[in-house]
Parts: sequence; C-alpha cells; structure tokens
Amino acid sequence: MLEGLLTGQSAGFQIVPEKSVAGRTLMMLVSIMTFLSCVTFGGVVLVQQSAVAWSADVGREVTIQIRPIEGQVMDSNLRVAIELAEATEGVSRAYALSDEEGEALLEPWLGEVDLSGLEVPRLVVVQLSDPARADFATLASHLAEAVPGATLDTHALWRQQINAMAGTVVVAGLLVLALILIATALAVVFATRGTMASNREIVDVLHFIGASNRFIAAEFQGRFLSIGLKGGAIGGVGAIVFFLAAGFVTGTVLPDPSATQLTILFDRFLPGFGGLLGLVALVLVIAVLTAATSRLTVYRFLTRIAP
Amino acid sequence: MIEFDDVGLRYGYGPEILRDLSFRISPGSFHFLTGPSGAGKTSLLRLLLLSLKPSRGRIEMFGENVSALARDRLLEMRRHIGIVFQDFRLLGHLTTFENVALPLRVRGQPLEEYRANVAELLEWVGLGDQMNVHPELLSGGEKQRAAIARAVIAKPDLLLADEPTGNVDPELSDRLLRLFVELNRMGTTIIVATHELGFLKRFNFPRLSLNEGRLVSDA
Repeated sequence: MLEGLLTGQSAGFQIVPEKSVAGRTLMMLVSIMTFLSCVTFGGVVLVQQSAVAWSADVGREVTIQIRPIEGQVMDSNLRVAIELAEATEGVSRAYALSDEEGEALLEPWLGEVDLSGLEVPRLVVVQLSDPARADFATLASHLAEAVPGATLDTHALWRQQINAMAGTVVVAGLLVLALILIATALAVVFATRGTMASNREIVDVLHFIGASNRFIAAEFQGRFLSIGLKGGAIGGVGAIVFFLAAGFVTGTVLPDPSATQLTILFDRFLPGFGGLLGLVALVLVIAVLTAATSRLTVYRFLTRIAP
Repeated sequence: MIEFDDVGLRYGYGPEILRDLSFRISPGSFHFLTGPSGAGKTSLLRLLLLSLKPSRGRIEMFGENVSALARDRLLEMRRHIGIVFQDFRLLGHLTTFENVALPLRVRGQPLEEYRANVAELLEWVGLGDQMNVHPELLSGGEKQRAAIARAVIAKPDLLLADEPTGNVDPELSDRLLRLFVELNRMGTTIIVATHELGFLKRFNFPRLSLNEGRLVSDA
C-alpha cells in the first residue's frame, strides 16, 4: 500500500517495475548503511549518556582525605572534618569510611593483605545536596586551618578528563556517521544510474508518448523512496536487535566480572528512549537522503539523454 | 498542420542524412512515406516525432516553430502525436491494457476515467480477450495492434507509423491499414512509412518519397 501511494499506483498501475536486480541491490545497500549508521549513532548515544551519568554520580560527592600525622588523633580529626563539611552550604551529609571500607577500596590494587600495620589515610565522604551551591573553597580553607593533613578532592580533574574523552568519542562517532551518510549518498547515485540504465527502454517509451521529465522522475522517485524506507527499516530493526542482543549477552552470557564492568560502564547497553527515537529519525533521514539523491540523479539522467 | 521549409539533418559532424526537405501536410490528410532502405524515412519520422531537431531549415508543427522550442515544450507537444514503432516498443512488465492506457496515465487521468475507453478500444482492435496478458505472450500481429491502440488511445492529432505492417502476414497487414484509414476518417492526420508497393497501389494516398535523403516526389 505504501509503495502504491509513493509510486502513484492509485492513479492506475505502477509504471516502474517493482522488482529488479538494481532495486534489490540498492535495498541491501541501504539496509547495510542504515545498520552501520544506527550502530554508530547508538554507540555515540551510549557513550554520551554514560559519560553524563558518570560525571553526575561523581559530581554528587567529594572526598576529604586525612593523612595520619604523628601527634594527631585521627578520630578527633575525622569528627572535626565531618562537622566542617556538614556546616558548608550545599552539603547534605558527611561520614567517615571505616577502616574495613578503606581497605576494601584498596583491595583491587593491593589484593587481600593485612593493612593493620600500615598507616593508611582515612576518607570522609561528603554528599552534596546541591553541587552548584557547594562552597569548596571555604571548606578547603577551613580544613587546612583546623585539620592537619586533610585535603579536599572534588574529582574535578577526573570529571574533566572523562568529559574530554566522551566528547572525543562523540565527535569521532558523528564524523563516522557523516562519512557513512556521504558514502550512502554516493552509493545511491551509482545504484540509481544503474537502475535508470537498465530501465532506459521505459524512459524512452515514456518520453515518446509525451511524459515530462517531472512525471518520469516522480515515478522513479516513488520507487526509490520506497526502497529507502524499506532498506532503512530493515537496517534500523537490525540495529535495535543488535543492541538488544548485546544487552542480553552482557546480562546472561558473559562471566560475571565482565558483565559487571559493562553494566557499570553502559548500564543496560541500550541507548534509551531518546536514543531509539534518534534511530527512527536516522532511518527516516536515510530514506529521504536516498529519495532526494536518486531524484537528483534521475533528473540529471533525463536531461542528459535525448528526448 | 506540418510545414517543412528547406530542412536538413545531420548526426554530429557526419554527412547530411536529410537534405533540402520542403513540404506541407494538411490536417486530416493521409500520407505514405516511401523510399528504399537508408533513404532517411526513420530520420524524417524522428523529426516529425520531435525527437530530433533539424540541423538547418524550419519545421512548423501545430502552429509553432519546433526548431526553436524548449525541451519541455517539445515533450508537451508530443502529446499531440501518436507513434507506432516498427519494433512495437511495448513495455514487457505491463499488461496489454496497461500498455495501451500508458498515454492516459501519463496525462494524469485516473483509472476510473479511462478503464472503459481502453477496454472498448482493445475490443475494437480485436484484443478484448488479451487485456491482462503480457506482451511476451502476444503474437506479432497482436503486438502490432496493441502498439496501434496505444498510439491512438489519447486521440492524437497526428499518427506516425514506421513500417507498421513489416512484421505481420499480408491478411493482417491489410486489416491494419484499413484500421489507419478508419482513424483517418475520424479526423487524425496519418503518415505511414512503408516500402510495400501493394499498399501504395491499392490505397491511393499522397506519397512522400525519399531517396538518398531528398524528397523525390510529392504526389
């Protein structure tokens, strides 16, 4: 029905043959290009979403590190640091990590070793109610005055690096996407030329019976838009299946540590509702790109050949 | 309706295929276009079909100087002309009905408007029971009649036919010629390119005779 509407079948019958080798080739090509575009786009969205989530998570906490100093009582310093933190604007809560919790943080790097003989710095986790209003400069100066050996870590450098990394990946992904779209347009030009050459007899007969170039281009454009939409839909559905399968693999097939790492990095390995809308939009863009490119090519072909 | 004034035609930088053609064809007339192979009959038909422009001279058709017309206007003017090709040029993926209806479809008419007319014409040319058949299943004579039906369905002012009886037996070619005569009586100007002397003698219509690209007589 869609094709009928697009190709003017409602006016009687379809002039451009529905099935041809060139048409099938073009549909396969559009499917593959759409799949690659969607996977690239989905990957970019995943990285971008994850980077935002990581940055937001880290941004909701800061850490006070207190080094053991001879002559200082650690518990007393911890209490003062907590009081100073909780008195700071924008802070909701502050608490000290226990020795066991501190050792657990070091375990991935040092392994299961007994740290009781070592003087390990203690950490105070400061949770923020409003990161934008938190006055880190005042807290840092109060800590420097009242708690010897205390330093405030706002994770700003780490967040800056993660944002730079995510930005680089997003820009690179968008460049790849642009290159795929350009390659798609070029491939459509060649496929359209092939289709027009193989349908030359139809074009000649239409010219001889008085069809205008606009009429002929519209007949072919409907066919190409239909191919673009079908190919785009196949590629788009393929990409969604790919993401679902990747999510399934990370959730069930991969061994636990690997799955955990991926889950931490990319949550459910799905680009989310916004990402899915983006994929649908991308399919439509590719369909329209196919139709527009082919129309231009058809017009050029028609003006080049003798009427 | 058609006026050629000192028309010449050459392809590229080659020699002139048609030379110094000057003649006039009145509306509603019937002409045979004759001459030996290579005399330039098909080239002259292509000029009349507006698919070629003359290298020199002036051609006036339907009141317009076609030598000076823009390409789009030429395509529009073709709607006044019906053409029957020697090799039929039916589209293989369309049925007989669809092939014949093509000129009306191109003019933007909806199916409901032309369905009955096309069916009636196909009955008239004896293809009423072959409407839904594809050209590959039609005989030479049936293809020829389908091609003629396609050429006349839109009631052209001018009908051009290039050796329309070249592929059919004598009995059928006689019927096809009578069909052209019938169309002519209904007001269509007809030019039939043929080298069959039998027709020329039996149907006493004026002739445009070509030899080596020149008009040798205008009876």
